[in-house]
Amino acid sequence: HLSMANPMSYNGGCVMAMKGRNCVAIASDLRFGVQMQTISMEFDKVQQMGPRLFVGFPGLATDTQTVFQRMQFRKNLYELRENKSVRPQTLMNMISNLLYERRFGPYFVEPVVAGLDPISLEPYVATMDLIGCPMEPEDFVVSGTCTEQMFGMCETLWQPDMSPDELFECISQAMLNAFDRDAASGWGCHVYLIERDQVTVRALKARMD
Amino acid sequence: MNLFAINYQQSCLQPVKHGLQSGNLRINFNHGTTCLAFKYSNGIVVSVDSRASAGAYIASGTVKKVIEINPFLLGTMAGGAADCQFWQRVLSQECWLYELRISVAAASKLLANILYNYKGYGLSIGTMIVGWDKKGPGLYYVDDDGTRHSGNLFAVGSGSTYAYGVLDTCYRWDMTDDEALELGRRAIYHATYRDIGSGNSNNLYLVKPDGWKFIGNYDTANLHYQYNPVAAE
Repeated sequence: HLSMANPMSYNGGCVMAMKGRNCVAIASDLRFGVQMQTISMEFDKVQQMGPRLFVGFPGLATDTQTVFQRMQFRKNLYELRENKSVRPQTLMNMISNLLYERRFGPYFVEPVVAGLDPISLEPYVATMDLIGCPMEPEDFVVSGTCTEQMFGMCETLWQPDMSPDELFECISQAMLNAFDRDAASGWGCHVYLIERDQVTVRALKARMD
Repeated sequence: MNLFAINYQQSCLQPVKHGLQSGNLRINFNHGTTCLAFKYSNGIVVSVDSRASAGAYIASGTVKKVIEINPFLLGTMAGGAADCQFWQRVLSQECWLYELRISVAAASKLLANILYNYKGYGLSIGTMIVGWDKKGPGLYYVDDDGTRHSGNLFAVGSGSTYAYGVLDTCYRWDMTDDEALELGRRAIYHATYRDIGSGNSNNLYLVKPDGWKFIGNYDTANLHYQYNPVAAE
């Protein structure tokens, strides 16, 4: 078959995050595959890094795991030294720094950060490219093999100040309809809804083809 | 050195493996598909998926990959959609000109010989010609390098390996119509589950002595939840 080809689409997958009123949502598809074959339908690209802080690393699966593990290490040391929970903005900067350290041999992931500030509970979403250029928009972020489809869905469905229920519905429909037009993503979806006093994770019933 | 000739050559479309190339433009044909057909005691089942992918983008989920050559002959589509549709329409024309009901062997040979003339030009066609004639059920695999094989069971496309797994396990000559159709549906479902190039829906046809019949279109997402019911909480 083909050799490595494009590392960003070798394994497939996608992640998106959206801001709501006093809440954020982040969602990931569950496919792990190698080129045209799907191997697992349980590969969630989103991990928790704090009580109200989640990160997703779509891209090359080996780097998804490695970058998450390296970030865990740095975040733990930060929290021990600073004696406080890391803020989402700070974590974003730390990830950006980690990625730029590998400027000339990068990790093939384009991370997504979503969370609420530990003190002010202000919603925050961010993404960056594979060498750490950050983007902190006011509305939503997308990353993965079907960004074009996800942008289209988000631009259409997102509105400011949505309640948690509305935000859940919005991000779910955006994800499902976006990755149904992408052969390399899908096979299930996990949606994390982060509010002030609770985090809810839901599995969506998706097309399994 | 004639630079004009070099530029001209590069600006022409040239065949490359599985596609065409002209300078920076590259047209890749879709091999993302699963098509299968098998003979059994009472007929022939033809089962195909309906996805067209352009790289990873799903261009369409409602492609008709079974081409109705005439009321007694079917052809499946794998490879370049335009190539399959065009040359199978040429085959329909030739079969119509023949006036009498043509045998499957002859029809498939007509197509194979046309394709052999274009060998090396970059056509991409992997098709099965299916029908019923006085020799009984006929199933031929024909492709763009001029291959033509007769057989009892074929699966073609990027998802063919997954379909073969299911077909080879459960295939028997003596099956009822319902068992054979269910086998065809299951094999395509399993291919759509694992192969990213196949999916969306399954089109099923049954070929009998009096011609083919379209059985139905089955959404593979529904098939998944039918075969794997979610346990009630």
